Amino acid sequence: MNNTTSNVGLNDESNREAIPASANPLGLEGIEFIEYATSKPQALGQVLEMMGFRPIARHRSREVMLYRQGGMNIIVNAHDSGLAHSVAPTEKPVIAAIALRVRDAQQAYKRALSLGAWAVPTHVEVMELNIPAIHGVGTSRIYFVDRVHDFSIYDVDFVPIPTVDSKPQALAGFHFFGIVQYIGNDRMDDWIEFYSELFGFRALESSEHFGILPKGRILKSACNTFGLQLIEPEPGVLAVDEDERLQRIAFGTSDVLGAMKLLQARGVEFVSHAGQSPSDKGALTRSWLGGLNFELVLDGLAS
Amino acid sequence: MMHASGTLNDFGMDTISMAGSLDMKLKAIKGAGFSQVMLSARDVVGHPGGVEAAAQVVRESGLRVTGFQVLRDFEGLSGHLHDYKIDIAKAMLEMCHALGSKVLLVCSSTSVHASQDPEHLAKDLRKLAMLAVPLGIKVAYEGLSWGRTINEYNTAWEIVQLADTPNLGVGLDSFHMFAAKTSMEDLELIDPEKIFLVQLADFMWQEIRSIEERITTARHFRVFPGEGVHSQDLADLVRRLYQMGYRGDYSFEVFNDDYQQLPLPMVADRAWKSAQWLGEDVMRRSVPLPNQIRLKRAQGFN
Repeated sequence: MNNTTSNVGLNDESNREAIPASANPLGLEGIEFIEYATSKPQALGQVLEMMGFRPIARHRSREVMLYRQGGMNIIVNAHDSGLAHSVAPTEKPVIAAIALRVRDAQQAYKRALSLGAWAVPTHVEVMELNIPAIHGVGTSRIYFVDRVHDFSIYDVDFVPIPTVDSKPQALAGFHFFGIVQYIGNDRMDDWIEFYSELFGFRALESSEHFGILPKGRILKSACNTFGLQLIEPEPGVLAVDEDERLQRIAFGTSDVLGAMKLLQARGVEFVSHAGQSPSDKGALTRSWLGGLNFELVLDGLAS
Repeated sequence: MMHASGTLNDFGMDTISMAGSLDMKLKAIKGAGFSQVMLSARDVVGHPGGVEAAAQVVRESGLRVTGFQVLRDFEGLSGHLHDYKIDIAKAMLEMCHALGSKVLLVCSSTSVHASQDPEHLAKDLRKLAMLAVPLGIKVAYEGLSWGRTINEYNTAWEIVQLADTPNLGVGLDSFHMFAAKTSMEDLELIDPEKIFLVQLADFMWQEIRSIEERITTARHFRVFPGEGVHSQDLADLVRRLYQMGYRGDYSFEVFNDDYQQLPLPMVADRAWKSAQWLGEDVMRRSVPLPNQIRLKRAQGFN
């Protein structure tokens, strides 16, 4: 609740210190859900189940499923809206959206637009929920969700799967640790500006990294509960991959090796070669479905 | 040889210098020897096949896109005027992106409806730059010499500094710099990494006495560098920018009524002679060491 007190004294004329407008301008409180788009929803569902997620509910009218473990919600969207500006799902699952929990979704949305965000018109939104959204990197979107403590946003559009525990425990204490975003060359400053201006993210020192893939730059959310890792193309590669996208999710855990054992027993394999070998700091799963993978990270970020 | 051709590649032609269709212009520009082209929104929206077809033609030409022009009278507006201009800006950004251009040129406002408060101007440009981030576009802000509040490159730079956002920089246009008689000494104040575009043009007379004459000259009587009476100043400008560390593109921003009624290859050849003069005579003399390595911008953060 520190975000409610941080504005105190802001316009106080006796204030001689340069106190930033607000360390958490949106009242950000973590990630409500992450949405994947794919034309192979069952294949992705199988992978998610291996990773510890359980299917909880299905959309009333569309090919959309809700998976959950602990405090993490993942939506798998196979619905092809057929609209000109929407992207048809491909076999390779892509991260299509991040939904941020904020104090006031409409206010957060309006603030973002006033600062230069692109609105996603509601009629092309994939779900029926009237969730305000802006364009993120590539074809992805960023949703603003509020009042998550009062009622579940899923109650409206989703039908619970009968006999299923709607609150399955997380495997190995998994929680959203962060999202990796690939960016183009010389785009680090632009994206840092984007996330800090619109959402109050803060760039950590260039030397600060978590897990076993110490590349790029980490941005910490204003609520201190998750991060973004921005990664530029490998230097020296001739055919430069300028594509910008959300690349993978990282799950935080206090016991990486223990979590690996649990996942290996469920059939998950891990990348093990120079520089990317699993350790107590982190691990990277092998990829499924043409490029879907997950990262495990020893959590030093969440408080 | 390598060095000379590398320098020549820094110069590009503007589609606005020629009459005809986009396809004809690109062919003439490529045919003359250029490897890049500055595109104008008019070329694109006027293409018979629409924006998508225009983008396809540009891709097929093999020419690199220097930038896309031009957003006018954008900054300093309020209420419905601001909302209207944001719509225009978004459409320009989307076209810019579709064409594979990484630079959008914005000219300083001439509007009497616009605020003259530097903070307001900076805030709007900051918002424009933010809109450009997801599309991978840089915004080059140019001081139009008849702009109402900002009409010189040095004050444009002040606004850019005030806005302080990574993908907002200045666009320099030699015509406006010479017409406004701004001291070239102030170029030293500009971070060369924040010069996103340099447009070059010469003109035929020494003095421009009124704003009206300035506008008329700018829109109808520009010539390619080396063809007018400001060749020495242009050579000095290009050398100065090189010495400052500017390694970006130069585009010939030549509005000329005569060129609008000449065969396109003839106009493009004149432009190419200009590029040769700048690239081989002017620039070569300014470079003491051959094969200088261009240092990649250091990724430094605080």
